[in-house]
Amino acid sequence: MKRFFGMSLALVILVGALMALSGLFYLAAAGLGWGFNVWFGEPGRVDPALVHYGASLANVLTLMMVVLMISGSLLTVAERKWSALLQNRVGANRIKVFGNPLGGIPYLAADALKMLTKEKMEPQAATRMLYELAPVMAFAPVFCLFAIVPVGPAIDLGSIFSGAAGAGQTIALQVAKMDAGLLFLFAISSLSVYGTSLAGWASNNKLALLGGVRASSQMISYEVSLGLSLVGAMMAYKSLQLDEIVVAQGQGVLGIAPAWGLLLQPVGFLIFFTSGFAETKRAPFDLPEGESEIVGYFLEYSGMKFGMFFLAEFLEIAIFAGVITAVFLGGWHPLPIAGATEWLRAHLHPLAFASVGGGIFLAKMIVLMWLQLTIRWLLPRFRYDQIQQLCWKILLPAALVNVFVTGAAILIDPSLQLLAGLGLLTMVVVAVLVGATGKGAAPAAAHAHGGGH
Amino acid sequence: MPYQLDNRPADLREQMYFPEIIRGIGAVTAHFLRNLFFTRDANPDILDRPRGLGKSDNVTIFYPEEKAPYPPGYRGLHRLVPRGDGLPRCVACYMCATACPAQCIYIEAGEYPGDPVEKYPVKFVIDELRCVVCGFCVEACPKDAIRMDTGEHAPPSYERDVQQLHEQALLRGPSVDYAGDPWLKRAAPSIPADKLAAMKAAATPYPADATDEYAQTPGFSVKALAAEARARSERGGR
Ligand code: SF4
Ligand code: SF4
Repeated sequence: MKRFFGMSLALVILVGALMALSGLFYLAAAGLGWGFNVWFGEPGRVDPALVHYGASLANVLTLMMVVLMISGSLLTVAERKWSALLQNRVGANRIKVFGNPLGGIPYLAADALKMLTKEKMEPQAATRMLYELAPVMAFAPVFCLFAIVPVGPAIDLGSIFSGAAGAGQTIALQVAKMDAGLLFLFAISSLSVYGTSLAGWASNNKLALLGGVRASSQMISYEVSLGLSLVGAMMAYKSLQLDEIVVAQGQGVLGIAPAWGLLLQPVGFLIFFTSGFAETKRAPFDLPEGESEIVGYFLEYSGMKFGMFFLAEFLEIAIFAGVITAVFLGGWHPLPIAGATEWLRAHLHPLAFASVGGGIFLAKMIVLMWLQLTIRWLLPRFRYDQIQQLCWKILLPAALVNVFVTGAAILIDPSLQLLAGLGLLTMVVVAVLVGATGKGAAPAAAHAHGGGH
Repeated sequence: MPYQLDNRPADLREQMYFPEIIRGIGAVTAHFLRNLFFTRDANPDILDRPRGLGKSDNVTIFYPEEKAPYPPGYRGLHRLVPRGDGLPRCVACYMCATACPAQCIYIEAGEYPGDPVEKYPVKFVIDELRCVVCGFCVEACPKDAIRMDTGEHAPPSYERDVQQLHEQALLRGPSVDYAGDPWLKRAAPSIPADKLAAMKAAATPYPADATDEYAQTPGFSVKALAAEARARSERGGR
């Protein structure tokens, strides 16, 4: 029971800490935005571009360096601990600081130390430049994807520095507000396939080459359904920009239900989630790597070069969690009730409201990262032909049908009520399918416990 | 095998794959939450740990800190059984060394001063690295002087020397005296008189058949095991 209350308290503190953290991020963005205007601008005049640059620079430092890197590296530990909890184990706990395993977090330092000090082996006949370039090519595109994820709502700079020169300027926890939005996501995420295929080719190893080919064919296939699955959401929210999509999810449909992507696009969500999973190259789609029996594209990499492939994978998890949160789970809208966001905005100080929104976004991201790791430990690996069949014969047609149905529903009823009704129907059908047991439920474990045998 | 599997073909719902995955997520999530929110039970008998709602499903034993007892009859590290006066029962007869298939027992015999009859091992070395843990030495010994009932396994070490156990390290554990022991019967001069009386008083008769005296692991009882087996067969259980 002590652990129960301790854990509950820890979770509450975690959410609170995330909110406080995003509050600090807002202060950093506001401070740097205001500072840029003071340092580089003409006195007495507000230059929106300077404010924007300052805030973006602060966001690069806070969101990408702090949130993304820390969640990426913590995921390496979380993978061990969470998988252990799923499998009734304890997980990594042998490194202790003053006799306390600290939830396995010291393993982070140990891993980093190992990666950095490991012997560096390079195949002699490797194509040297491409060989060195590949980890960067795998890492960099993934890293910069987070730029478009809107972590917090836009608030007025004047509400933080009362009477400041920047009043009327908005700042948000988003690095780049790009018109291309989701298109940027598709473009950059498909770049990371270069890293894997180059790694396979440049290391001059037949097995690595096969791994690279497997990786590129899988990733290119899933690009298609990845893109198509979001078309429905783009049509429903009439925007490509993630921040506008999040704002649009605040509107109400079917009474008090919010127009979250999960409600409007349940099929799109499933397809996007699956394709995103295949993009991260993790089980059940880990054919490019297959640590245990087939060997992957990074076969010839050691030390930190391997570490970059490894970290890129975990960063991809965090980024997909962010994108799914923004498009399907209502982004920073704190409660799944239409109008709740407006109520909060009216009753809270803008900075407090924004911090709550940012904290909720990060919390949702954590839940989604947890879900990805859970599925990774739940499912066995697909066979290669099954992967391609799932993509081309199931996901792609489903995504196309989803686009047509969504388009038709929006055409008939532009207020999204019909689309939400269809989504609700889909969810009910899925729930019935999940709840209905087939011919026989899974047999209970045969061993009786409590002794006596 | 914990599960009975029937190899029926998947029905339509299972072929749709997604519903089953969602069910699977639910199943593992239940484990996750139980293990996250509730404390691991430290009972080394895992099957006896309470399970169900409000209980952790965790089956781990933190090995070096917590140890599950070894099963009955476990052949652990050797020990040389002491007599009541603390000297080894071993009479350096070389039977164990002869029986040992790994040839890992080295014995040097000596005589007690002032006692022309009794021999004892001046040196008795067992190389645990070469030992195949067959237990033949225990079977061969006519004096019940070597046993493998410590319930410990060979500890890890960085040096090979550590694994070569000498008579000082081997001589440990509870002492054993039998009424038929020759040194008791003829009152060996190497044993002080008062000690001899105490040893005679504590001596047990040689057992006619297997008793708990021969049990290998501390706390393990042949009789209890037999009774358990009998009860099981009467219940018609597994
Ligand atoms: S257990 Fe077997 S191998 Fe080991 S010392 Fe005894 S007889 Fe030799
Ligand atoms: S331990 Fe037993 S068999 Fe081995 S030398 Fe001693 S008395 Fe003989």
